[in-house]
Amino acid sequence: MSKTTQKTHLYQYHKQNAKMTEFANFHMPIWYKGIIPEHMAVRTHVGLFDITHMGRALITGPQSETFLNHTTTNDASALTPLSAQYSTMCNENGGIKDDFVLSRLEPQKFLIVYNAANRQKDHQWLLQNSKPFNVKLEDASDNIAMFAVQGPNAQQTLQKITDTDLTKIERFKCSWTKLANADAFISRTGYTGEDGFEVFVWDTPVSNPEKAVQVWNTILKAGEEFGIEPCGLGARDTLRLEAGMCLYGNDIDETTTPLEAALGFVVKLKKETFIGKDALIKQKAEGIKRKRVGLKITEKGIPRPKQKVTDESHQQIGYVTSGTYSPLLERGIAMAYVSTENAAEGAKIVVKVRDKYLKAEVVKFPFYDPTKYGYARQK
Amino acid sequence: MPVLDYEIPDELHYSKEHEWVSLKGEEATVGITDYAQKQLHEIVYVEIQKKGSEVKQFQTMGSVESVKSVSDIFSPVTGKIDKVNTELVDSPELLNQDPYGKGWLAEITLTDLEHDTKNLLTAEQYSEYIKKLEE
Repeated sequence: MSKTTQKTHLYQYHKQNAKMTEFANFHMPIWYKGIIPEHMAVRTHVGLFDITHMGRALITGPQSETFLNHTTTNDASALTPLSAQYSTMCNENGGIKDDFVLSRLEPQKFLIVYNAANRQKDHQWLLQNSKPFNVKLEDASDNIAMFAVQGPNAQQTLQKITDTDLTKIERFKCSWTKLANADAFISRTGYTGEDGFEVFVWDTPVSNPEKAVQVWNTILKAGEEFGIEPCGLGARDTLRLEAGMCLYGNDIDETTTPLEAALGFVVKLKKETFIGKDALIKQKAEGIKRKRVGLKITEKGIPRPKQKVTDESHQQIGYVTSGTYSPLLERGIAMAYVSTENAAEGAKIVVKVRDKYLKAEVVKFPFYDPTKYGYARQK
Repeated sequence: MPVLDYEIPDELHYSKEHEWVSLKGEEATVGITDYAQKQLHEIVYVEIQKKGSEVKQFQTMGSVESVKSVSDIFSPVTGKIDKVNTELVDSPELLNQDPYGKGWLAEITLTDLEHDTKNLLTAEQYSEYIKKLEE
């Protein structure tokens, strides 16, 4: 069955200014000026992304915390109101259903933001598992526009158009605010490795996009003095890859567990119970056989998904899940699953790129020097 | 002559895979068209078969990579590679900046000029082809 491709509030802007693509059933921009200048704008100044295609759902009710502890791997009880956490949900085998950011709006109200490609699947999964709990699940995707303002000048940019003191919002904290006279929820989160905010323009259906368009234009204007660039999905992908963040469908899926994906920090095995817990405890006890690692290609060439990773004698030890040209490092980088004995930082391995064997090295995430780039950079 | 947004020089021959050929007797210089470089955008890596390699018309002679994707380059002619543009190794962006000039890929000595040209498009035919693709 074919569905009509959806448009975001900014569709007209994107169509006029960007090279477009279809992604997860949405008309989305791949790039405006180009992936490289947009990528570098985020690493050095600030960039603005339309990420309205992401799925959003509200979970409310007296048992919302209990329900989320049951369906997700991280500790939802650790979330105080107006804070956020990265998390995953797993199937009974410990395979990842999706990864997402969960925010607590109120003691009994949570906002979950999951992958565009998993909108239906996640909604079904949450709905199906919510039956024994006193909770309400509401898909809020179509009523909220969502942007990301990312980069070292993100705070200065947004501060120009809000009365909320942004210096008070720490990483993974949130706030209600007004932006360009629109009610908005902002969280200090992102998918680039940089400091920045994700902006939710509330109560703005796609059929009535003015409010969202107004916020977008106001952010672009405010960021002009810092060299802001509108950024497309191309730069979003290269930025997240350099930061070592997973893309669902590439680097993680229902056949990989959070432990294999090096996402153990969002799996709280001490929690009483959650879906997939038994499988993950067993896997942890037995030890993982493969692990997601970063690969830096040490000669010319660009690794791509599904290519083979081998040891120095060309015996296969794994495969690439994401690969690209890194605009910052100006070389090929990749994420790959490799057998645990080859996964140590500094291990010399090989990637079979088309008909060539290219030398590569296992590196830790992020790919860049975190004292020079990213949210923890030294000012 | 520019067609839509694309430069399509009159004096060159073209393939439907968006390579161009400049003929001087039995010697051909080949490259990718303005349309190709604009579609690929931000070319970051080019690889061409070595000098001395035999290439066949419409068969792979190398690859070109943008940030997002990799594409084959198909030789628009049959012959032997005499010279490869080695500047592209360190400056692949020349393909974007000057596809018909400094971004040339290789020089090839042809084995069957007449046969090859019959299979190629004139600038006019290529322009029509591009217009159809952009419809």
